[in-house]
Amino acid sequence: MIPTLLGRWHTRLLLYVFIGLPVTFLFSMYQSAWQWPPPVTQSVFYYPFLFITLILLLGLILDVVYIQIQRFHWDQDWPFAYQFFFSILEFYAVYYLMYYGVFDYLWSFVSTSLLFSDGLIPLSDATWHFTFVFIPSFLAVLGGVQVFLVRWRFKGGELGRHRIR
Amino acid sequence: MAIEISWKTGGADAGRRVLDGAGPFKIGRASGGDVVLDHAQVSRLHAEVTVDGSTVRITDKGSQNGTRLAGRRIAQPTVWEPSDEVEIGPFRLRVRFTERPGLAPADGDADATAISPAAAPARGAGQPRPQPAGERAPGGPRGAFPGRLFEQRIVPLRDIQASGKLAGEVNYVAVGGGIGSFCWVDHLRIFGVSASDIRVLGVADDKRPYAKWGRLCRNSQIPDHERIRSNSISVPDNIWGFPGYASRELVRDMLQGKLSGIKAVLQVFGEPMLTESYTPRLIDVFNSFDAEAKRIGWESMWLYGQAVGLRKTDDERYVVAYRVPSAHAPGQSPEQREKFIVARYVQIATGYPASNFLPDLQEFRKANPSNTAVVNAYEHHDEVYRTLEQKGGTILIRGRGIVASRVIQRVFEARQKNKDIRLLHLVRSPVRQGNKYDLAQRPVRNDVELQPFNWPKSCWGGTLRERLENASPEERAKLLATWGGTTTADRDDWNRIIETGAKEGWYKVFYGKVASISERGGRLVTRLESTAQHQENVDLAADFIVDCTGLVARIDETPLIADLIRTYDLARNKAAGEGAELRLSGLAVNTAFEIPGLQNGRGHVWAAGVVTANGPYAAVDSFLGLQYAALRSVDHMALLGAPGVSRFGPIRSATQWLKWCLGRSP
Repeated sequence: MIPTLLGRWHTRLLLYVFIGLPVTFLFSMYQSAWQWPPPVTQSVFYYPFLFITLILLLGLILDVVYIQIQRFHWDQDWPFAYQFFFSILEFYAVYYLMYYGVFDYLWSFVSTSLLFSDGLIPLSDATWHFTFVFIPSFLAVLGGVQVFLVRWRFKGGELGRHRIR
Repeated sequence: MAIEISWKTGGADAGRRVLDGAGPFKIGRASGGDVVLDHAQVSRLHAEVTVDGSTVRITDKGSQNGTRLAGRRIAQPTVWEPSDEVEIGPFRLRVRFTERPGLAPADGDADATAISPAAAPARGAGQPRPQPAGERAPGGPRGAFPGRLFEQRIVPLRDIQASGKLAGEVNYVAVGGGIGSFCWVDHLRIFGVSASDIRVLGVADDKRPYAKWGRLCRNSQIPDHERIRSNSISVPDNIWGFPGYASRELVRDMLQGKLSGIKAVLQVFGEPMLTESYTPRLIDVFNSFDAEAKRIGWESMWLYGQAVGLRKTDDERYVVAYRVPSAHAPGQSPEQREKFIVARYVQIATGYPASNFLPDLQEFRKANPSNTAVVNAYEHHDEVYRTLEQKGGTILIRGRGIVASRVIQRVFEARQKNKDIRLLHLVRSPVRQGNKYDLAQRPVRNDVELQPFNWPKSCWGGTLRERLENASPEERAKLLATWGGTTTADRDDWNRIIETGAKEGWYKVFYGKVASISERGGRLVTRLESTAQHQENVDLAADFIVDCTGLVARIDETPLIADLIRTYDLARNKAAGEGAELRLSGLAVNTAFEIPGLQNGRGHVWAAGVVTANGPYAAVDSFLGLQYAALRSVDHMALLGAPGVSRFGPIRSATQWLKWCLGRSP
C-alpha cells in the first residue's frame, strides 16, 4: 500500500463501515446467544462495538504518526508487513488501555459510569473478535477494495474520483 | 557510393551492413557471408545482391524457403528499390544508398543515431523510425501525403471526403498501437464502448500490443523466464490490479501441485524490507496481454498504419492521416496505401521514437561502419555473447542502471561456459551517496543507486504522486530530477555477480570520461581523459563495447509529434535531470492527460507514455503509469459525455471484474 494521510483515514472508515461493523454485529449476536431483538443495552452486546470503535479512533490518530514514518522510506510506501504488524499493535494497545482503565479515566471527565472496564471481555474472546475483523480487512486492502473502487489504488487510498487540473 | 542493407526481425532492428562495390554480396546463414541471418528458415547461401550504378538487384540462390520482394516471391534477378522490403525467413531487409557509409538514418539531430524504432521495456507504445527530414514538406508533415490538405490548422471534412482516402469514421482512435494504446482501449472497452467504435493505428510487424516492447526486452537480454522490473499489481491486462501476478503465480503453481508460488506471495507481503521486491516473469506478462487482447477484441480494432499527421476538422473532430505499410497492403500502390480516419476522441501513445548511442560511440560507428563490435543494449546483439562463449574475450560495458545489470548477468552466464571472459565496466564517476528527498536517502551499492522500480513507489499512487501533481512546473523539474535518474534493482544475484567478479578479478570498474575510441589490432581501445588524479592515459582494450546508457530520446524525433508541436504551437514540459535526460521534455498535459492545445470544441486529444514525460505524473513510462493515464482520460471522457463511456461506479466495476475473471467479453 502507498497511502496518503487522507487515504489512510478514508480507507479506515471504509473498512470500519463495510467490514468492522457487520462482523462485530455478528460477533455480538453470537456472544449474546443470538437473542432477537438484540440486547443492545447489555455490555455483552455493545461492548465489542465500543472496542472496535476505539481501535478506529486510535488508528485515526496513529495514522498521523504512520505517515511520518513513511517519510523515512525512500519509496514513501507502507509495506504489507507494516500494515500487518501495526494492526495487531493497535489491537493490543486498545485492549490494554481498557484493561488498565485509561479509557475509564478519560471517560470520568464526561460521566461517572465505568463504561470501558465494566464489560471487558477475556483477551481470548477479544482476539477472536479482532481476528474476524482483521483478516477480511487485510485481504480487502490487498485486493478486494479495488475490485469495487478502481481509482482507490491511484489515490493513496482516498475515495472518490480524481480532480482535473 | 555504397549500399547499406539493414534488417529487422519482429519489428526491431536486428542489424545492418554497409557494402561497397558491385558485389555479388552473399546473404545467408553461413558465417562467411556479407549479411549473416542466423535462423533455421534461412538457407546457408540464401540470396545474392549486385550493384550496377544506381541499380540494386537481388537474386534468390535456390533457397529452401524462398525470397520475397515487396510480397512477391522472386526467381530471377530482380531490381530492389529502396522503398521495397525483402523478406527472408523472419527477417525484413531494406536497402539504401549511402554516401557516408554506416550512418544510420539521416534524421533527427546530428548527434542521434537512431537504432530502435520502438518502445522501452515497461514503457509505452512504439512509433516507426523517423523518416529522412528531406521528405518533409514546408509547413506540413513530410511528403506529398497528406500534403496541402494538412497545411491548414483546421481541415474541412468535405475535403477529406473528396480525397477518396477516407477509410472510416469512429468515435475513438488510438495512435501508436503499443502498450499505451492497449491500456486506453482496454479501459474504453470495460467502461462500455463497443469494439466497432474504436480503431487502433499501429505499425508493428504483428498486432500484439507488446510486439515492440517484447523485442526490446529480448534484445536487452531478458529471456522469457527472467523476471522484469515491474510490480505484482502492475497488470496491464487487468484495470483493477487484482489479482496481481504474484497471486496468479501462487494459484497456477498450486494447481500444478507446486508450492513455489508461496514465495511470490510472501515476497509481496515482505517487500521491500524483509524480502526482495516481487517481480513478474516476462512470459507471464506476454501471456496475460494475449488473453486480454483476445477478450476485448483487440485485433478487430487494429489497423496497420503509420500515422503521419493529425489535424482538427471543421466539425469538432480530428482527422488522422496514415500510411499502410506495403507488407500489409500487397499489390497496392503507395497512393492507395495513404488513408485518413476521422474521430472525435483521440489518444496519442507513440512511445520512444528511438534510442541513442553515447556521442563517442556514435562517432566511432560512423567512422567504422563495418565494425559490428560496438552495440547498443537495446539492439539485437546476441551474437556478442555467443562469440564470447565460443572464443572468450573482453567486453566493455558503458553506463549503469537496470540494462547494465541485465547485461552483466548475461556475461556472467556466458562465463559459465567459458571462463576466459573479462568484463570492464566504465561509468563516468563513482556514486557513493544516493539522492536525498524529505527524510530519506536512496541506497547505493556497487556504484549505482538502488530502488525497486524506476521511480519511488509512491509516485504511482501515494504521497509523491500528490506532491508532483500540486507542484509548479519548475518544482516538478527539480522533484523529477531527484526521484528519477539511473537506478537498478537491489537483486541478490546481481550484487553477488559484481562482488564475486571483482574478487575473482574478471570484473573491473573504471571511472572517467572517454577521450577517444579506436580500433587497434582487431580490438577496440577506449582511452580515458586524464584527470587530476590520473595524469597518465588509461587505455581499455576490449573485443566488444555495449552501450547500456538507455533509451533517452527527444519526443520530437517522432514526425507526428514534431508536426503537432509546430502546427498547434503545443506547450512542452520543463526538462529535468542532467545530461541526456534533459532531452526528455514531453507534451504539456493536464492531470487527465489531455493535450489542451488540441481541444477542438467537443473533440479532445489525450496522450500517454513518454510523450508526456516531465509532466504532472512521474511514472508515465510504466505499465501502471499507462493504466493510470488511461483511467484518467477515460474518466474525463465520461464527464464529457463521450458515447458509451460509463461513470464506472462500484457495481459496474465489480460486474466487469467478474467478467474478466470468467474471460467473458466486457
